Amino acid sequence: MKQVFFWLAVVVSLNTTKLWATEPVWFGNENAQRILIINSAMDLASFEPILKKFVELHPDVRVAYRDVNTLELYYLTIKEQKKPEASLVISSAMDLHLKLVNDGYAQTYQSSFTDRLPSNFKWRNQLFAFSLEPIVMLVNKKAFPGDLPEDRQSLLQTIRQNEKAMTKRIGTYDIRQSGVGYLLASQDARQADVTWGRLLEAFGSHDVQTYCCTHDIIDDVASGKLVLGYNLLGSYASQRAQEDDRLKMILPKDYTLMLMRAALIPKGAPNVEDAGIFLDFLLSDQAQKMMQTQGLLFPIQPDMNNPNDPYVVNAPGPTGIIELDQQLLVGRDYAKQKRFIRNWEMALEISEED
Amino acid sequence: MWQKSPNHRALSEDEEKKALENAPSLRFRFILAGVLVIGIIAGLAINLIFDYSQKLADLSYDRLLRSALLQMDENVGLMRNEVSIDIPWSAFATLAQAEEDRVFYKVESLEQGFITGYQDLDSQPPQPPVLDQIQFYNQEYSGEMVRFAWVQRHITDPETAQTVRIILGQTRLSREEMASAVTQKAVEVVVFIALVAITLIIIGSHLVLRPLHRIERALEERAMGDLTPIDINTPKETHHLKVAINHFMERLQSNLEQLENYTADAAHQLRTPLASLRALAENARDNTSPERQHQALENIVKQCDTLSQTVTLLLNQAVVSHRLQTHRLEPIDLLAPITASCREQAVAALHQGVLLSLDCDLKETMILGDAFSIQQMMQNLIENAVRYSRADVERGTEIIVQVSEFERFYRIKVIDYGVGIPDIEKERVFERFYRGRYDIAGSGVGLAMVKDIVDHHSARIQILDTEPKGTTFQVDFAKLRFNEDTV
Repeated sequence: MKQVFFWLAVVVSLNTTKLWATEPVWFGNENAQRILIINSAMDLASFEPILKKFVELHPDVRVAYRDVNTLELYYLTIKEQKKPEASLVISSAMDLHLKLVNDGYAQTYQSSFTDRLPSNFKWRNQLFAFSLEPIVMLVNKKAFPGDLPEDRQSLLQTIRQNEKAMTKRIGTYDIRQSGVGYLLASQDARQADVTWGRLLEAFGSHDVQTYCCTHDIIDDVASGKLVLGYNLLGSYASQRAQEDDRLKMILPKDYTLMLMRAALIPKGAPNVEDAGIFLDFLLSDQAQKMMQTQGLLFPIQPDMNNPNDPYVVNAPGPTGIIELDQQLLVGRDYAKQKRFIRNWEMALEISEED
Repeated sequence: MWQKSPNHRALSEDEEKKALENAPSLRFRFILAGVLVIGIIAGLAINLIFDYSQKLADLSYDRLLRSALLQMDENVGLMRNEVSIDIPWSAFATLAQAEEDRVFYKVESLEQGFITGYQDLDSQPPQPPVLDQIQFYNQEYSGEMVRFAWVQRHITDPETAQTVRIILGQTRLSREEMASAVTQKAVEVVVFIALVAITLIIIGSHLVLRPLHRIERALEERAMGDLTPIDINTPKETHHLKVAINHFMERLQSNLEQLENYTADAAHQLRTPLASLRALAENARDNTSPERQHQALENIVKQCDTLSQTVTLLLNQAVVSHRLQTHRLEPIDLLAPITASCREQAVAALHQGVLLSLDCDLKETMILGDAFSIQQMMQNLIENAVRYSRADVERGTEIIVQVSEFERFYRIKVIDYGVGIPDIEKERVFERFYRGRYDIAGSGVGLAMVKDIVDHHSARIQILDTEPKGTTFQVDFAKLRFNEDTV
C-alpha cells in the first residue's frame, strides 16, 4: 500500500514539475479584462477552433489553455483545492472526474444549456459531458500482416498467427501514467473479462509498447513502427486517419466502448462566470455542430442527416457507453486499482521500477 | 301590565350599523371554530406526513444501501492470510439508482487496519457493534449529511481469523427528493380536503341560518299593525322559534286589546262624571233660588271628589304597575302597609258610617314584597268593602281587617257584612272594568289592580262569603324564610 502511495507521489511530483514547465497557450485579445484559465486533457488540435470561436464571440475574455495529462490533471485539481488556478477542468478520464465531484472538489453550475443536457450526460449539475466518442483500434494498413482485424478475437488470431510481425508493434496506454488508459482497460475488463485476459496475455508475450499519450501512439502507427494502436480515443484517431492514407480506424465489432469528455468547475475557482459561459458554449448547438462539421470531436447528439459522416458513430457491433455515474468509482477503488495495475504489470512483464 | 324598555327610542341608521358591527356573529363563530378544528387536524396530518415521508424515503433507499453493502460483503475474502475485497460493479450500480447521490465507503479489518475506501471516514457506529447486524445512521461527511450502512463480521479460514468492517454511505439528496415529493402530494391532498371542508362549512352555515333570515325578513316586511302569526315554511330546528314568536305576538295582541279596552273604558269612566258634572253645573246656573243653587253647587263638589277619586285610582294604578315593573321585591314587614292603609281609611269609612277595625296580635310579619303596592291593595280592598256596606243589616257597617299567621304564610282577611257577591260573579270581579253593580259608585279597576299586585307577589287571593251575609277577601302571602333552604 505504501509503495503505491509512494509511486503515485513520484508520478505526481514528476509530472507537476513538468506541468509547470509547460506554458499555457493564450487565445484572444491581450488587453481583454477577464481571463479564463482552462486545464484540459485534450489535444489542442481538436480544441483550437472552438477556443478561437469562443474568444471571437467574447472579445472581452482571454483564454489560457493548459494541456495536462488526465492523471496529472486529477492530482493537480486536488492539489489546488484550496486555491484553484483553473476555472474549468476538462478531461476524458470520466472516472477521475466523477471521483473529483464525488469527493467534493467541484461546484454546482446550472443554466438553460445544462438543463437541456440529457440526465445521463451530467451528474449532480457539477459534471457535464460535451462529447461522446468511440474507442477504436488504429492500424497501419500497409504494415499490418494479413486481414485487418474486425474485433478483438480476430486481433488475437492475427497476433498468434504473426507472432514475429506483431512483437513490439502493438501500442497502447500505460495505465499507470494515463488516467483515460486505466479507465479504458478497466472497462474492457468489465465488459469482457476473458477476452481482456487473453488480450493482456497476448500483449505481454509480444512486448506491447506502452505510451502516455494518444498522439505518440498514432505517430508510431503512422510511421510504421507500430502496426496497431489499441484503445485509442476516436476523435484523435479519426482526425489522423482522414489526413493519412496509411491509417485505418477500426471500431471493434464485438463491442465498442463509448467515452465521454467531461468538464467541471472546481470549488473556489476564479472567474466562475466565464467558466459557465464557456461551458454553455461547449454545450451550445453552435459548438456541437462545429465539432462535427470541422471534424474535431464527436458531439453528444450528432446531426444524423449525413450517415457517412465519420463523426457519426456507426459501430458495426454493440456499443458500451461508459456511464457517467457512481459505478465509475468502483474502477478507482483503491484495492481494485492496486490489484488491477499489479495484474497488468505482471501480464506485460513490466516491473514496478520501470 | 307589560315590561317596557326604560327609554325607548328608535335607533338611528348609524347606531344600528354600529350595533350590528359589535354584535357577535353566529356564522362567524361557527366558521371560525370549523376552520380552527380543520386547521388543527390538517396541521397534525401534515406533521405526520412529514415524519412518515422521511421514514418512507429512508426505508426505500436503505434497501438499496443494504443491497449494495451485502454485495460488497460477499466479495470480501482472504488471500494469503490478508483480507481483500473486490467491489462488484453491480454494488455501485445499485447505488446509482439514487442518481445524484455521492457515495462514500470504507473497508477495514480490526487486525489489518485500512483496506480500501475513504480512509478518514469514521468507522465507529453510534450503537454498540453487533456482528452481522447492519446499522443505519446519518452522519456528516465531506460537508454533507450522509446515510451510512454499517456491518461487521468475522472472516475465517483454517490459518487466520479477522474481523472485517464495511461502512457504505450515500448522501441524502434522493431521499429528501422522494420525501418532499411524497409530502408535497400528500399536503396538496390535505389542503384540498381542508379547503373543501371549509367551503362546506361556509355553505352549510349559510343554509342553516337561512330560515332565520327568512323569519327576520318576514318580520321586517310586516305592516305596522300586523300581528297575525307568521306563516312561512321553516325546518324543524327553527319551528320552535317561529311558534315562540307567534305566541309572543298573540300575547302582544291580547295586551294591546286590553290596553285599547282600558283606554276606552278610562275615557268612558271620565266622561260619565264629566257629563253629570256639566248637568249639575247647568242646573246650578239655571236655578234662581239660592238654596237650590247652593244644593247644586254642593253636588258639583261631591261629583268633583268622585272624579278626583277615580283619577287618583287610575294614577295609583299606573304608579303601582310601574313599581311592580321596576322595583324588586324586598323584605318588608307586612303589618306596616296594612296598618297604614287602615289608619288612612278609617276616617273616610267613618264618614260613611262604617266602622273599620284591625284585628292583629302579631309582632313581626316579614315577607318579600313591595310596601307601596300592598298598601294600595289594602286600600282598594277596604274601599271596596266600604262601598258595598249596608246600614240596614246587622253588623252591616262593620269591616274587620284580620291578619293571622300560618306555618308557611300570613293570611289577610278583609271581612264585610255587606251585600255579598253572588258565586257567578266571584270569578269576574277581578276583570278590569267589571262592575258588579252599576248603582254603586266605583271605577271597576280597583280589584283588577288587587289581582295584579297579588299575582306579582305570587300570593293567593280568594273570595269567600261572610256568615251570615257579606264578602271576605282572603289573601295569603308566603313568609320570608331565612336560609331555610341551606339548613
